[in-house]
Amino acid sequence: MTTSDFEKTEAERKLRRRVFHTGFFLLAVVALAFSFWKLKALILPVVVGALLAYLFRPFKDRFRIKWLPHELGVLLIFAGVGLMMFLAFYKGKQMIPDEKQKLELKVRLKYKANEKFNEFVGAKGQEKSGLVAQMVTHEFGPMMDQLNLLLSLSPEEKELFLKYRKGHDGQAAIEDKFYDYFVANQAIANAEAARKPAAADKPEGPTVANAEPVREHGKSEKNGLIEILSVWILAPLIFIFLSFDNGQMRRYFIGLVPNRYFELSLTVLDMLDDAIGKYLRGTLIECALVALSLEVGLLLLGLPLSVALLIGTIAGLANAIPFLGPLIGLVIALAYSLIAESITPVIPGLNPNDLAIYVVVLVAIVHFMDNLIFQPVVLGSAVNLHPLVVIVAIIAGSLTMGVWGMLLAIPTVVVLKTGVETLFKELKSYRII
Amino acid sequence: MSVRKIIAEKVLWETLKRWKKSSAEMDRIEFLKTVPFFNELSNWQLKKVSEIVFERVYEPDELIFEQGQPGAALFLIVDGQVSVEMFKNHNATSLAVLEGGAFFGEMALLDESARSASARSVGTTKTLALYRNDLNRLILSDSNTACHIYRALARIVGDRLRSTNALVQSDLKAEKIPA
Repeated sequence: MTTSDFEKTEAERKLRRRVFHTGFFLLAVVALAFSFWKLKALILPVVVGALLAYLFRPFKDRFRIKWLPHELGVLLIFAGVGLMMFLAFYKGKQMIPDEKQKLELKVRLKYKANEKFNEFVGAKGQEKSGLVAQMVTHEFGPMMDQLNLLLSLSPEEKELFLKYRKGHDGQAAIEDKFYDYFVANQAIANAEAARKPAAADKPEGPTVANAEPVREHGKSEKNGLIEILSVWILAPLIFIFLSFDNGQMRRYFIGLVPNRYFELSLTVLDMLDDAIGKYLRGTLIECALVALSLEVGLLLLGLPLSVALLIGTIAGLANAIPFLGPLIGLVIALAYSLIAESITPVIPGLNPNDLAIYVVVLVAIVHFMDNLIFQPVVLGSAVNLHPLVVIVAIIAGSLTMGVWGMLLAIPTVVVLKTGVETLFKELKSYRII
Repeated sequence: MSVRKIIAEKVLWETLKRWKKSSAEMDRIEFLKTVPFFNELSNWQLKKVSEIVFERVYEPDELIFEQGQPGAALFLIVDGQVSVEMFKNHNATSLAVLEGGAFFGEMALLDESARSASARSVGTTKTLALYRNDLNRLILSDSNTACHIYRALARIVGDRLRSTNALVQSDLKAEKIPA
């Protein structure tokens, strides 16, 4: 074979290789897009499992026991975390109110919300005083009507409440104070009906006719729950198998990279890992600090431990959503402060009747602490995003995937921003572009 | 090394040998034993190193890295030849041709400063690459192994510094006493 023949064969081979690579790439893109479209229900559990494995990795590396096989170590840690989560869920489940407690809660919430509203606008048999009170009544009156409608008991629920009042299903009788609330709520409903004659014919709350679909809805809810659980079983599986990985996946993907981009891909992957890891772990620590601060604050305000832990944890998790997170925490804490009873603040000199005001102050203090101390110390030099980008990302996330979308919007933007920035910077420094 | 560690290593190594008699991993470990960088390491430590190195095969005349690019990895030649070249005024000067068992680009293990020369494969060349940050991570997971590698690196850099000093001194002498 002459040199020109060899060069010709090589050129043909190069062309074949290029056609094969392009074809394969296009096929992979189409297959991936089709899989995403068909299996979109699986995306979220996979992302959550992968994200947890990613967050867990430094912990796994830090506490590696030399003589213990890697996989066994991962399984042991997973079993430990699983046990803690099971206990937390078990405790949480115990806190979920049963039928009787649900009725009590509904009655109590309606009564307390009306009581606080009336206190604020000065409408307990007194003349409404002041422009502010009138404005509040005008603006928030319709909202209160909606709330009353939402919290009102259906005829079946009323019947059930009265049964529980005397002692039903082996449970203790409902306390007198809840019965008083119930009577007061009835008075509110009657007054409302008298004020709006058109609505007087309608029974309070959902009718019997629409109570049936509620039961049907309950059935479909059960099926939905099974479906969700069967999909979400993927999350721990993904978590375990990604945690088993000891760098093999990275080596495999780096192995696919052409030689020219070998060092570049190593550097880019590492920088991405560093920036994203710092951001995600920083956010996690920040959320934990917010939750802890709120929990301590609520305990000092005299809330029961279980309630303080629950509100603090939810508010801490919600804090991962910029702007909206603190608001969610405030709404939950404020809602509880409105129905709270027999509260004895640990801090002397605090009036239990002003709990709502203290809660607002507490959430504000924690928010300031988050902005002034937690974020600068924990997140430090991690990725900075423009507020407009954050808002657009959260709205886009909520539109596409609801609450999960809101939670995952910012990490997604961080991954994209860091990826693009790092790639361009390194492509330039490696003199590829 | 304690008796327990020696026995553990012996047992583990024999088991590994039995299971992976002709595996790529065993071949890598056997090769690493021949490289001066790793000659102080035990079999078990070499296994750890073999788990973090990347195998790369270069076509004839393919650029491995370019002068001026940031360095990220040390390369060990498993098979083939590598020409180390320096560009000055658009002319390439071959500084050396390295063969199997040799290594190059070791300064990249210290920082990401620019490569002082280019490396190009002469024929089809198989290499093993050790990435800087993987070595840094080895400090956390196996500080003893990482410490041995850094000591070997310091020794090599020290040797090179000494020979450079000797070269500079001989040049200075030559300038003072013209022939």
